[in-house]
Amino acid sequence: MNTEQISTKRVSTHNIRTKHISVKRYLPDNPAEPYWQPYELPVDDSTSLLDALNHIKEQLDSTLSYRWSCRMAICGSCGVMVNGIPKLGCKTFLRDYEGEIRIEPLAHFPVQRDLVVDMEIFLEHLAAVKPYLIDDNPVKAFDPNAPETYQQSPAQLERYKQFANCINCGLCYSACPQFGLNQEFLGPAALTLAHRYNLDSRDHGKKQRMAELNRHEGVWSCTFVGFCSQVCPKNVDPAAAVNQGKVEAAKHTLIALFKG
Amino acid sequence: MDKSSSQRLPPLKRNWWLKHRFFKLYMLREATVLPLVFFTLCLLAGMVALLQGAQSWQGWVAFMSSPIVLALNIVALAASLFHAATFFVLFPRVMPLRIAGRSLPDQAIVAGQWAGVVAVALLFFWLFGRA
Amino acid sequence: MSKPSMDRLSMNKQAAQHKQAFDEPLWWGLFSAGGVCFAVILPAVILFIAILLPLGLLPAEALSYERASALLFSVPGFLFVGAVVCLPLFHAAHRLRHGLFDISVGNDALNKKLMYGGAALLSVLALGLVIAGMLG
Repeated sequence: MNTEQISTKRVSTHNIRTKHISVKRYLPDNPAEPYWQPYELPVDDSTSLLDALNHIKEQLDSTLSYRWSCRMAICGSCGVMVNGIPKLGCKTFLRDYEGEIRIEPLAHFPVQRDLVVDMEIFLEHLAAVKPYLIDDNPVKAFDPNAPETYQQSPAQLERYKQFANCINCGLCYSACPQFGLNQEFLGPAALTLAHRYNLDSRDHGKKQRMAELNRHEGVWSCTFVGFCSQVCPKNVDPAAAVNQGKVEAAKHTLIALFKG
Repeated sequence: MDKSSSQRLPPLKRNWWLKHRFFKLYMLREATVLPLVFFTLCLLAGMVALLQGAQSWQGWVAFMSSPIVLALNIVALAASLFHAATFFVLFPRVMPLRIAGRSLPDQAIVAGQWAGVVAVALLFFWLFGRA
Repeated sequence: MSKPSMDRLSMNKQAAQHKQAFDEPLWWGLFSAGGVCFAVILPAVILFIAILLPLGLLPAEALSYERASALLFSVPGFLFVGAVVCLPLFHAAHRLRHGLFDISVGNDALNKKLMYGGAALLSVLALGLVIAGMLG
């Protein structure tokens, strides 16, 4: 891909030209079948896909539905398929695409309307792994003489930091064929966040999470296709986290065997 | 909360992997085990031949030099090298190694594994290469 | 359906969903060990035994009947078979099982038994051959 070449060039807002975008439309009431709708719009080198969708919504066709919020790759709302690859609309620039651009709703999720998908199943899988700090000790009142609560050294932070960058956009679920083949698979982001909290020095919930991870639908459904890590907009490398989770699940099983 | 309240889509069709280059390469990686199984079966046949006697062993060597078997085993060699190339880069991601608190660079781990391949090849040369 | 029986049903479902995969670490461990052997050892093994030997490019005595027997039917030979036949077979079985699932062939429970069972059977055969050679 020549993404990098183009990105290093000066981005011009004068280079205005016309692009064609096809959007897969689905309107649940009428008609019932999804169909492709072409749009033609003016773009320059700074136009993101989200800008383009906003332009369509405001200027061309107010019936188009899609999700968005922050426009800066932190809210994780604007995920769509661009020519079959999951991308964030705000982080995808039309200057990087020659020829046809086909926009579809995220794969492997039920479509509610146009580019809006139902992500409930992802949220269920996420909730199942308890992606939050679990502490054995009850919350103590802050004692200024012993301010030890939740201390963490830079080295301890480093262990999980990369995996903490997940923004729950769901692109990795659309990239994962194992999730497409079996929707009960907990999937890349949920397993990554489970690993992220297991690695956190302040957490004591590993045992509870291992019961979820060490299932057939937990880490063991992953075959390290690795596409999740390719599409991740935050370079989290979920495939690495899931497979480190396999090592942890194997250790967990061995310990369980010896303890009986 | 009912665990399975949300909607589930039916599984992907079996040709899903033909739709993207990345998935085709994944399937090629997984398929490297097919020529491996062929070679392993050849090797097992060779072990049986060795147990049966000198004549069987010579027969097995002749079988191994038939063009189809030889061609399939050349494919197996290529498959083992492709497998190695894909497998070695996964290792540092699955088991990041730390020495004295510092994590080893990925390239060092990959290079170390290729050094292992060369070392085994040299060992074989030492065992079988000399007259 | 009465309320208690529904509760029991959903409890069974919960139990089924939370079934621990105690066997998977074993298969994955064998797969990984086999993958290392396939990548590190097999290139040299295939090159020397399946390509150079049949092409007559090795010295005549390198793998003569006597030398091959002496090398294989020994303790190092036993270890060699473990690393070059058994572990790679489990590696292959694991990838074939998941590959069959990927292309929706058969069902996983049966594929698992066939693949790992096949690998185990051939492994026992291979190691048995070495032991038979050592005894014979």
